This record gives sequence, C-alpha cells and structure tokens, in this order.
Amino acid sequence: MITTPEHTSPAAVAEASERRVIIRSVGMKKIYQRGAETTHALRGVDVEIYTGEFISVMGPSGSGKSTFFNMIGALDSPSEGRVFIDEVDVAQLTAEELAFLRCRKIGYIFQSYNLIQYMTALENVTTPMAFGGVTPDESRKRGMELLDLVGLKTRWFHRPIEMSGGQQQRVAIARALANNPSILLCDEPTANLDHKTGDEILTILQKLNQERGVTIICATHDHRMMNMCDRLMWIRDGAIERIARRDEVEVQLASIE
Amino acid sequence: MKTIDVQPQPLLGFARTLRIALSGVKYRLFRALVTVAVISVAMAFLMNILAESLIKMTVAATAKDQIAEMRLVDRWIARLSIPPTTAEIIASAARAGEPAEIENLRTLGRLDDAELTRLRELASAADTYLTFFSELNYGRRRVLVGSAESTAIFDRLQDATARETFFSRLAEMKTVRFVTETEAFDTLLNEWPVLRAYTERIREGQATAIRTVQDNLNGRTLMQSLRAAEGPFGQVIRDAGFNLSPAEAEHLSAKVGAVADTALIETAMNQADIRQAIAARLDILPGDVTPSRLWSLLSDRDNAAWYIGVMNEQGFAASGWQPDDVIALADSRARAQLLKQAERATMETGGGLMGIGQRMTWLAFVSMLVCAVGIANAMLMSVTERFREIATLKCLGALDGFIMTVFLIEASILGLVGGIAGTLMGLVIALLRMLGLFKSLLLESIPLGALVTASLLSIVIGVLLAAVSAVYPSLRAARLAPMEAMRIE
Ligand SMILES: Nc1ncnc2c1ncn2[C@@H]1O[C@H](COP(=O)(O)OP(=O)(O)OP(=O)(O)O)[C@@H](O)[C@H]1O
Ligand SMILES: [Mg+2]
Repeated sequence: MITTPEHTSPAAVAEASERRVIIRSVGMKKIYQRGAETTHALRGVDVEIYTGEFISVMGPSGSGKSTFFNMIGALDSPSEGRVFIDEVDVAQLTAEELAFLRCRKIGYIFQSYNLIQYMTALENVTTPMAFGGVTPDESRKRGMELLDLVGLKTRWFHRPIEMSGGQQQRVAIARALANNPSILLCDEPTANLDHKTGDEILTILQKLNQERGVTIICATHDHRMMNMCDRLMWIRDGAIERIARRDEVEVQLASIE
Repeated sequence: MKTIDVQPQPLLGFARTLRIALSGVKYRLFRALVTVAVISVAMAFLMNILAESLIKMTVAATAKDQIAEMRLVDRWIARLSIPPTTAEIIASAARAGEPAEIENLRTLGRLDDAELTRLRELASAADTYLTFFSELNYGRRRVLVGSAESTAIFDRLQDATARETFFSRLAEMKTVRFVTETEAFDTLLNEWPVLRAYTERIREGQATAIRTVQDNLNGRTLMQSLRAAEGPFGQVIRDAGFNLSPAEAEHLSAKVGAVADTALIETAMNQADIRQAIAARLDILPGDVTPSRLWSLLSDRDNAAWYIGVMNEQGFAASGWQPDDVIALADSRARAQLLKQAERATMETGGGLMGIGQRMTWLAFVSMLVCAVGIANAMLMSVTERFREIATLKCLGALDGFIMTVFLIEASILGLVGGIAGTLMGLVIALLRMLGLFKSLLLESIPLGALVTASLLSIVIGVLLAAVSAVYPSLRAARLAPMEAMRIE
C-alpha cells in the first residue's frame, strides 16, 4: 500500500499558487435517493484544480469517481456544496449557458467512446463545432487537423463500427478538442483498451497537456497514468483520501520496492 | 459574482438537423418500417372512407338527375291524369328547379309575372313551415294544431282564437325551436288566403286541362297517345294549357316508345314458343329464362336480329325494328338498373366529416387514436434505444430544443411516408370497390378535385398525428440528463 506524509511539500504549494484555479469544489456532496435506499456517493469534497494540470483520480469501483466527474463537468448538480468552473458558479447558469459551457470549455472523453454510430469520424469531430457555430468549411478544415493530430487523417470517412477501440477513442479525443476546450475530462479512457493502444492514448493526452496546456482530469485504474500526471488524487467511499504530487508518490513507490 | 459571456447557440442548419433525424430512421430501419406500417394502415382506413363517401356523394348527385330524367314518362302520366293537391303545388312552386315547371304553373293558373313572383315567394315561406310541421312529432303537433295536417294547418290558424292558442302553446314548448321568428309565421298566415287563391286557380286550371286532354284520347290509352307527343297529341297537350316544349315533346315520345317496346319484348318472351326458342339458344331450361337473361342475350347484334325475326314470326309487331334499336333498349335498361343500384347504395351518404356519416367519423377517430398510441410507443422506444447518443449530444453542447426538434422531425418523416403510402392504398382500394359497385357510372362522375383535396388532407393528418404523438417522447429525450452518457451498461 502507498503511504505518504500528511502534507504536500511547501515547494509544490508554491508552484501551484502561481497558476490560476480553473475548477474549485466546495463541500460538494451527492446523495442518490432510490426508494428507501440512500447512497452517499460523495460526502463533501473540497478540491482545487489549476490550469494546465494533469490530475489522475484513482479509487476502487463505486468510490464515486464518475459522480465526481459529473459534478465538476457540469453534467449534474451536487446535492450540497458548490462547483466553480473558471470562477463561475455552475448552479447559477441557465440551460443555454450550461450548453455553452459544455460545448466550449470542457471536452469529455468516455470509457466507451460514445461516438455517434451513424456518423463518420470527421462528422463526429465536427458535430460540437456545429453546436458552437463554426461554419461547415471551417469545421471540416479544423476537423481534419484534429484527426491528423490523433493520427487518423486517412480514416476520416470511417464509421465507428469500422474502427478498433483505440481508433475510436482517438476520434473521441479529437471530438473533445473540437472547440479548443481548456479542460479535458476523461472517465477511464483506457479501461476498454489493450496495453499497447492504451499507451498510445496516454501519449496523446500527455502531449496535449504539455504542448497545448490543456487541463486534464482523468479517472483511471491504470498505473501507467501515474508516470505522466502532475498530481494524483485518491477517492474512497465518496471522500478524498489523499492528494499528492507525483514525485512524492514515486519516492514512496521506490522505497517500497 | 462572475458570469460567463454566452453567445446564443446558432440554430443548426435544417439540412444537418434533418440528417441527424434521418440517420435515426436509418439506424433503426425495422422499427421505423413498423411505425410507418401502423400509420399507413390508419391513414388508408381514413382515406378509404373519405374517398368512398366523396365518390358516393358525386354518384348520388349524378344518379339523382338521371333518375329524374328516367321518370319523365311517369311524371307526365301523373300530370295528365290527376290534379295536384294544394301542398304539391306549393312544393313545386317553392322548389321547382327547371323553368319548364314554373312555366306550367304560369299557364295553368293564368298568372301574370307579378302574381307568379308573389306565388313563389309565399310558397317558399309556406314550404318551410310545412316541412317543420311534417317533421314535428305527433304529440306536439296535436297540442299545437289539433288534428290538422299539411295545408289544413294554415286554414285552421286563420281563426283568431286558434292562432292565439297556437302561439301561446308554442311559447310554452321550451324544447321546440320554431323555424323562423313567430312574427314571420303570423305574416304568412295573414297572406295565406292569397296563396290559397293562387293554388286554387292552378288546380282548377290543371283539372280543366286534364279533362280536355282525356277528351282527345279518341279511345286510346294515355300511354299510346303519348307516343305521338312530338306530333298532333303534343299540340293537344299544349292547347289544353300545359307547357310542353317541342324538345321535351320529342324526348317524351321517344321515352314512351322505349317503355312500350321494352314491355313488348318482355311480353314476347313470355309466349311459350318464344320462350322455348330463347332457352334453346341459351342452352338452358325454359323455366330459367328471365328478363335479365334475355336482355344480356340481346346486347349482341346477331342475337338481336334473331330475336326480331322470332317476334315477327310469332306475330308481335316488330317489323320495322333494327337490331341496333334493340341493343339501345338493352343498354338503356342496363343503365336504368345501374342507376337504381346506385340510388340504393348511396341512400345513407351525408353527415360527419366530408359526408362519411357519424358512425364512420367516430370509427376514424378511434383508429387515429390507436395509431397515435402506436406512434408514441415507437418513438419512446426510439428515445430509449438512443439514450446514450442523446446524452452524448447534450455533452457536446446540444440544447434541449435541438434534441426535441430532431425527434419531432423523425416522427414527421415517418408520418409523411406512412401518410403517403396509406393514402394511396386507401384511394386505390376505394376506387376498386366503387368501380365494382357503380361500374361505368363511376367513370362519369369521379370527383377528381375533391379526391385530391382529401388525399392532401389525409397526408397532412398523418404528419400532424405523428408529430403530436411524438411530443411526449421528444420531451423525454430533451429532458434526458447529460450524465447518462457517462453510464456504462
Ligand atoms: N444514478 C444513480 N442512482 C443511484 N446511485 C448511484 C447513481 N450513480 C451512482 N450511484 C452510486 O454512487 C456510488 C458511486 O458511483 P460511481 O459511479 O461514482 O463510482 P465509480 O467510482 O465511478 O465506480 P467505477 O470505478 O466502477 O466506475 C455507487 O455506490 C453507485 O451505486
Ligand atoms: Mg465510473
């Protein structure tokens, strides 16, 4: 098991404070009521995520990772507490503003890719652009650039069923980047992929984080993720068990070995 | 507090929205086909009853004119035999369609223009009340006017106390709605003696005229004499005071001739030897020889010529006849039968939407309702199957309105396809069925314009039905939480 000191190092705190907070949650709770059964999926989460960070969220199944993602991704509202994205209180937004936020600010990457089955790779990538008001010509041009970025330029006309899981996930990444979001939310992006294709996806995510400065928040069981993220966050039973910088954890791991 | 700077989401081009909706149809083609089938069956039913009733109404109108024309002989026989009743004169003055009928009234009653106009005015008012009283149930009529019926009611109400009683009792009858203001009826009652005098003049004129005509029959029957209506006997009728134009006279004598010839041919058929000969020619038993068998035999030229020969041999006066005359008789008899059949088949038309009748309107309504439930169910299935797709679209920034539009368009496409298919199906079935019923009569009186209108109406109803049924499913789709996209099954 991993055990670390209670507090992160002063150096890390100093470095973090130089950057802007892009997502902040305050006392975030989520309670699911189903009949007589009450589930506390989140029991008060306070977290600050900075621009350009790459955060891995880990935790056993049922610990509340997906619930956490829904809240900070403006897909669902917390039962208690608040979520700020770019200092904007999500609870105060109207339906149009929420749609705008989801369209422009955040890119979502799902475990099961969620491509639209009847659209080609290019059409999948350009759909969010259409919602964002980009002209069809401009969309096609940018869509091809994004497909090139994920290495699928030659397969732009393929439909999801004609592609492997890894290729589908790469299209999904291109789609998530359609409107140049500042945040990428990935819910177990490599869970359905084999080791090698998983590596490819992770490489792409790392490149996006380093070259474009996209904030990436990634739920995962994949220990390779540890090698590339800035911070790691453990959730257990709906609460943050621990947040640590990678170097601190690596020291720990090394010492165990 | 900080807010975000929103630009309004552009409406996605119609083409793109349509494509997403169409893809939905293509993606679940089988379900879409089942829905289309449900819609088309309902629309076929609606279109079928609409088309059949439209055709029946037109055929009924055509048949009515032709049947009136067919009864020309009966009308003249009646006119030349019995003087009409007061009520009949009023009805013919009030409703007369043809100028000839009005002319008859003028000459028989020796009315001038002013009198004729006055007669028609009063008659049409009186006719309204006569209809009202004849449709009133017996008990009520008894309370209002005692045992009086028809024009005797007007006579009875000439009496001041009777009239007073009538109006006060009418006022007490809350459930009866009188046809006009009571003042108007009072006025008519005051004028009744004038109208009555006119009808008496016409009646007496006609009675005298009938006597003149009967005196000039010279021992022949009226029917036999009418055969010469285009010649001297026509002049007798005119001199007596009836209005008979040369054209009508010619028509009348031809008709009378045809009636007589038809009767002669059928009489000949009943003669034992001829019956035997027909049976031999048809290769059936003599007992099975019926007028309709005979007439269908006679529609052939050779058979007609043969029958004329047989009739001449047996002493029936058919010497001047040509086969074509007999064929013409056969044709006009077939036509008369067709018209009678059409009259019977169209007896119950009218009422409800486009004349389909109350019961059919109700049935059509129920079938629409069942269809709506079917469409709603299919659309709910579509929404459920596409849960994740819808949620994903919302994660990508789709507005609720957009999702709703997509599903409404999808339903409308199904409605349009089903509506067109069903309408065509219903129309073809209706045409085939009506062709079987009315045969050649249908081709003469096909209401093309009305059928096109009904087809368009039925297609529009199909689309609207589908769209309205899809409102709830579309709302469910639009309200779907975007986080459903995260869920993995
Ligand atoms: N819509 C819901 N209704 C009721 N309970 C829910 C709902 N969604 C999640 N939960 C419950 O909330 C808890 C957290 O679920 P969550 O999906 O966030 O777990 P997770 O960490 O993502 O798990 P996994 O690693 O398996 O994806 C679970 O106990 C789950 O049963
Ligand atoms: Mg999960």
